[in-house]
Amino acid sequence: MLDAFSRTVVSADAKGAAIGSEDLADLRKYVADANKRIDATLAITQNVSCIAADAVAGMVCENTGLTQPGGHCYPTRRMAACLRDGEIILRYVSYALLAGDPSVLKDRCLNGLKETYLALGVPTSNAIRAVEIMKIATVAIMTETNTGRKMFKGINSGSGAQCKDIAAEAASYFDLVIEALS
Amino acid sequence: MKSAVTTVISAADAAGRFPSMSDFESVKGSFDRALPRLEAAEKLASCIDKFTNLAVDAVYQSGSYEQANKDKCVRDIHHYLRLINYCLVTGGTGPLDEWGISGMREIIRIQLLPTSAYIEAFIFIRDEIKINDVMSQQAETEFKGLLDYLINALA
Repeated sequence: MLDAFSRTVVSADAKGAAIGSEDLADLRKYVADANKRIDATLAITQNVSCIAADAVAGMVCENTGLTQPGGHCYPTRRMAACLRDGEIILRYVSYALLAGDPSVLKDRCLNGLKETYLALGVPTSNAIRAVEIMKIATVAIMTETNTGRKMFKGINSGSGAQCKDIAAEAASYFDLVIEALS
Repeated sequence: MKSAVTTVISAADAAGRFPSMSDFESVKGSFDRALPRLEAAEKLASCIDKFTNLAVDAVYQSGSYEQANKDKCVRDIHHYLRLINYCLVTGGTGPLDEWGISGMREIIRIQLLPTSAYIEAFIFIRDEIKINDVMSQQAETEFKGLLDYLINALA
C-alpha cells in the first residue's frame, strides 16, 4: 500500500534519483491541505450509512423489479449484502482519500471485484449505478452543496467550499470503482 | 510501504473499520512534523554528491582501505544517502529497511566488504560535516536520526 509520500519515493527509486525540490512541491501541497483532507474524509465517515442507504434506495427506486421476488435485491438478505458492499466501497474510498493515493482501493477492494460479482450473479450495471449515486452524494456532502443541513463536522471548522479540490479527488476514486466494474 | 498514513490505514483495514478520530490525530501529527522532514530531504538531495565525496575522501585518507574500492564505496554511500532521502520523505524507515538493510548482511558477508568503511563515512557525515550550514536545526535532527538508525543497522 502506498500513500502520496511513498508513491513519490517509488517513482524516484525507479529513476535512481534522490527526491529534489520539484517533486517536493506536490508533497508540500499535500501537507498544507492536510486539514481539508481530514475534513473531507470525515464527511464520508460521519455519513456512511446515510450515503450507502440512499444509494441503494436510489438504485432500487430506478429499477423496482430488484426488490420483487426474483429480483437481485430479494429477499432482504441480498439487499443487506448490497448495503454492506456499499459501506465497504466507501471505507476503501475513505482510506484512499486519507492516503492521497488509490493503491489501497485498487489492491484491496477493486482487484477481482468484478469477477466476484459476475460469479455471484450480481448485476454490475446496478452496482455501478449505486456507486454513481454514492459519488454524487459524497461530493455534495463534502462541498456542502447538498440540500438541507450541513452533514458533517470537521476538526478545523473546515467549510465545504475549501474541500472542492479534495472532493474532486474523491470523485476520481469513485470513478475508479465504476471503471473496475464496467 | 510503511509510513505514518499507511500504518494507520492497515490497522483500520485489519479491523474493518473506518478511520477513527484517533487515526486522524496520528495522521495529523505526522503532517505537523512533515515540513522539517521535507526540508531535510530537499537539502540532502542538493548536497548528496558533496556529502558523499567529503565522507569518502576522509575515510580513504586514513589509508586503511584499498584505494581501488573507492569508486564502489562512493556509489554505495550515495545509494544509502538516497535511501535516507526517501525515508525523510515517507516519514518512516520503510525505504531503508526494505531496500537498504534487509539482505544487506548477506551481501556484505559474501563479498567480504569492510562495513567499517561505511560506518566511518556515515559517522563522518553525522559528526564532522557542518550540516547546519545547509539546513535548519529541526531538519538536521531528522537527518541525523536516520543516520544513526543506519549506523546501528550496519554495526
